[in-house]
Parts: sequence; C-alpha cells; structure tokens
Amino acid sequence: MIFTIFKKELKDTLRDKRTLMMMLVIPTLVFPIIMAVFMSVSASFTEEAANKEVKIGYVGQKDNYVINHLDNLPESYGKKGLYAYTDSIQLKKDIHNDTLQMGIYIDAQFDKDMSNKRPAKVKVFYNATDLGMEERAKAYLETIEDLALQERYLDMELDASQLRPIETDYNNVASGKEMIGKLAGGFLPYIFIAFGFLGCMYPAIDLFTGEKERGTIETLLTTPVARWQILFGKMGVVVLSGLVAASAALLGLFLSIEVLDLVQNEELLDIIHGILNPTFILTLFLLLFPLTIFIAGIMIPIAVYAKSFKEAQSIITPLNIVIILPAMVGFFPGIELNAVTACIPVVNVVLATKELIAGTLDYGLLGLSFAVMMLIAVVAVFISYKRFDKETNVVL
Amino acid sequence: MIEITDLRKEFVLSKQQRKELNTKDSIATAVDGVSFTCKPGRVFSLLGPNGAGKTTTLRMISTIFKPTSGSIKIADVDAVANPTEARKKIGFLTGSTGLYARLTPNEVIKYFADLYGISKDEFEERKERLYTLLDMHDFQGKRIGKLSTGMKQKVSICRTMIHDPEVVVFDEPTSGLDVITAENIIKLIRDCKDQGKTVIFSSHIMSEVDLLCDDMAIIHKGRMLFDGTMDEFKNQMEAENLTAEFIRIVNATKNH
Repeated sequence: MIFTIFKKELKDTLRDKRTLMMMLVIPTLVFPIIMAVFMSVSASFTEEAANKEVKIGYVGQKDNYVINHLDNLPESYGKKGLYAYTDSIQLKKDIHNDTLQMGIYIDAQFDKDMSNKRPAKVKVFYNATDLGMEERAKAYLETIEDLALQERYLDMELDASQLRPIETDYNNVASGKEMIGKLAGGFLPYIFIAFGFLGCMYPAIDLFTGEKERGTIETLLTTPVARWQILFGKMGVVVLSGLVAASAALLGLFLSIEVLDLVQNEELLDIIHGILNPTFILTLFLLLFPLTIFIAGIMIPIAVYAKSFKEAQSIITPLNIVIILPAMVGFFPGIELNAVTACIPVVNVVLATKELIAGTLDYGLLGLSFAVMMLIAVVAVFISYKRFDKETNVVL
Repeated sequence: MIEITDLRKEFVLSKQQRKELNTKDSIATAVDGVSFTCKPGRVFSLLGPNGAGKTTTLRMISTIFKPTSGSIKIADVDAVANPTEARKKIGFLTGSTGLYARLTPNEVIKYFADLYGISKDEFEERKERLYTLLDMHDFQGKRIGKLSTGMKQKVSICRTMIHDPEVVVFDEPTSGLDVITAENIIKLIRDCKDQGKTVIFSSHIMSEVDLLCDDMAIIHKGRMLFDGTMDEFKNQMEAENLTAEFIRIVNATKNH
C-alpha cells in the first residue's frame, strides 16, 4: 500500500510544474549559472584591471628618484599615468572623487636622505574601497625600493647575500584538494542542503496541505489504508524530491565542469576530478539521505497543521533559515568535525562533507554524524506521524 | 446496515478556537448521544441545519473521526475497534470532495481500486460497467483539472463505487452543484437503494430529503430531535409543509 501511494504521489508531483522547477530545473542550472557568471565577471575584472590606466598624482620633483623609476616601470606592472600636484590636500581630494587612483607624496628631505643613505620618506595615498589599488601601490613601491636597495649595496660595496643570514623556504604540505576542501568545501554542502530543502518544500505542502485544501484527503482516509502507510507513501515522495533536487545540483556542477568547460584552470580541474569520485558521491548521499528525511520530517507536521497552501508556505519559508544557518558554519575555516560537532545536526553534515572533499574524513566521526542524523530523522518522522494521526489536523 | 448507538464526539478547543467561538469551555461537544439504524435497501437521511453535527457524525461512520464514546457497526463490523475492516465496506462521497486535478479519471479510479485491494479482473469489469453507466468513456484519459463540474462529479461517483461498497455515505452530496449535475447523485442514490445497499446522506434541503429518503433523523446541536420513517414524520407534522415542519422542530429546541 505504501508503494501504491508513493507511485501515485510521485506521478502527481512530477506533473506539477512548480515542483519540477524547484526540484529539477533550478538546481540543475544553479551551478552553471553561478560558475559562468563568476568566470565572466572575474575574467572581465582581470581584463579591466590590466587595461585600466591608473592615474597617479604626485607631489615632488618630476626627476625625483621614485617618480623617475615609477615612470620607467614596464607596462607589465599595469598602465599608468603620472600627474604632478603642488599640494597633498588636492591630491587626497582627487583620490576621494576617483579623479586619481593613487597619490605619492615625496618628502622634502627625500633627496638629502637618499644621498646620506638614510631612510628616505615617501607617503602613498589610495582609496581602500578601490579593490586591488593597495596591492598595486605596494607592487610599484616595493620594486623601486628593491632597485634602490641594490644600488645602495653596490655603492657601499656590500654583498647582498651576506646581509641575509637566514634564508627561509616556506612549504605548504596541504594538497590542493585539502586546500579546496577546508577553505571552500563548505560551499558545496551548503548548496546541497539549500536545494534539498527547496526540493522538499513544494511536495510537502502540495501532498499534505494541498490535499487537505483540495478536499481529497477525506476520501483517502476512508480507504482501508492505515494512516502511517499514507504518511510513509507521501513522505517517500517528499524525501525523494529533496534528494533529486540535491542530485540535480550535483549534475549541474558536473555539467559546468565536464560539458560547458567553465573551469579553465588545469590544476584546479585536476583537483576537482580528484574530488568528484564515486566514493565521494556515495558518502555524500549517505549523509544527505537522513538529512532529507529530517527536513521532510520537520516540514510535514507544519504542512499537516496548516489550513492553506499560503499558510504552510509562510511557516515553512522562514524555517529555511533554521536549516541554512547551521549549514553556513561550513564557510568558517577552522571549525572541524570532532566528537562535539558530529553531534550537531546539519552542522555535522556540512563539516563531514568538507572533510570528505579535503580527503581527511575520520570514518568514526562520519559514522557518528550518520547515527545522529538518523536518530533525529526518526524523531522527526515520529513527530510527523503524531501530527498526521491527529484527526483535527488532517481534515479541515 | 449501519447501527449507531449513543454516539458522542468531543473536540478539545485550543485557546484560539475558544476565542473564535467566544466560549470559556475547553471542550466542544459536536455529537451528543446520537443513536439510529440505517437498513439495507433503504435511504436514510440525516437532516439538520448548518453546524448541527451531521458531518461529524458521517465522518465517525466513515472512520475519519474516532468517537469519544458510543458504538458504530457497519455491516456487522465494529467500526470503532476495527476501522480498516469497516472501510472496505464503505463508499464515501461529499459535496466538497476534490479530485486529483493532475491525474486522469483512469488513474484516479485505478488508484482507489488498488487502495481497496480489488483484483484486476474485478476492477476491469466494474470499471467498464460504471464507465458505461456514467458515460465516462470519452473523457477517461483527460486530466481531471480540464473536466467540467459534471464530469468531475461522475469521476467522484465512479471512485466511490469502484469497490462495490455495502454502505454508501453521502455528506451533503449535492451542495454547490447545479440541478443537472445533482441529478447524477440523485440517480446514484436510487441505484444504490435498488441494489440493496445501505445509504445514508446528510442534507439541509428538505425537498431533497422528501424526494429520496425512506427513513430520517433530525439532528440539531449534536442531539437527535427526530428518528423515524419519512411517513411517520409526515403523519405527525404540525406545520403546513415539510420545510416549515423542519424549521418548527429545530426552533422548538430554542424554547426549552
């Protein structure tokens, strides 16, 4: 009987355009759209940054050491134009109103300090909200400073290598996969949870509140089928819809990488190929399965209680935040899966997925996370059953 | 046969409901000590004004609601103790019954046949008979959402009768229907009677009751005001017509 109800509800759900949009179309398109937008925006930013002429104002002599070298820096440092100013007040004002992107103030004692081999002072002005300008200023000035340093070593007949007693070689032992997993791995489970939620939402409302609102539940309750069987048949479709939505998101990711070639970086592509293997997908679904039951289990009592589609939607939509907020924990670097976090529902799924992507998953903690999620899923199903069994909730 | 003895149904009122109903009582009694018997081959009408407790009574008979106390026997099955068994013998149709708009009549009928555990041969035979009787062949494969009210009503009737129930429960079956569509229901009730089925239907329209029923009960505020045959009702009438008599009986309770 559960399967008969499941089959009918699935057929009914698959004919609902709104559910299909939420369950298949949007999740499949989200990764290609996000990645295409990200790639095109980042490419256009890079291109714009390379082509953009940075207007640099300066207060000081044109033949000053800094200005002279700045003027002679090759175009690989980015296009630039130099403009002489007589005072720093106007210079700062023009940076504020974006007439200039950078300002250089040469101290009056600069040449004297240079000749006396003392630190010669230069002030650099920039607007930090103009992204990348601080880095560009540092790149200019560090190059000129390095030139000056080399000249000074030569002048003083010093061996530069002798002035560097320790040569430190910094080595990152984390693999690219680990770096992506730990730093950006939270994004992936977040997307799966968000779409798992959206995938469950419309079928839950349609199959419970909708049936009540349309007046079909009464006749269903007069058939010789136990209420728990009706609940399980319907719940099966809600859970499946959530899993399909999450799978569609995964499919979208796959299409973006393998079909649409939205990732051009070979190194990154190799890392992603290393992540998206069958073990990863299976373990991910092992975690998503109880999570989706849990999501369905908290939506169904609301859908059963609500008297109209609108009411159900207005209660379930804010619930999104309750699920999504813990999922956001995955974005914070430093929070890792341990015996405590493995016991926090949703958070454990996100952290376990992060570890899974990074290839550092402790299978004992995975088991604990799975057990916690299963337990909470059973509790949610039990609450759904109690609600659905309450006659005044089921019939209007 | 339906045998109802001392049926009672109480609902616990939430704070919100108490506020809405302007009452301090935490319990509302929808049905209070109702007893009657509906016999096979006869049509029994449960008559009462809006909010009288008709729907609650019929929902208890069809096992949607569990009674607070009292007993319900459906074709010799104790419906309170064994609701699943009782449901196999009941066909249920209300005026507000909806259908699955995204499915076709064929799919809905098959779904309910499966829920009632009907064998394939039996299903095919009954489906063909009902489709012919109700003239449903032309629209059997169309989505229900695209059908007219009359067509939908035919699908509802077919769904109600697909398991050939011994007892048929109609809760205000003609409410909201035009006379042509309501005629299908009236015909169905008569057919059920002719086939020796037990029929109970609720209504607040006296003319409809007069047209169809053999036995009747008047219910008001959850209590029985009359239980007898239609002839007995007519014989003891004090008002000039049936509707006036119904109103007189209901109003008489206000004076007590």
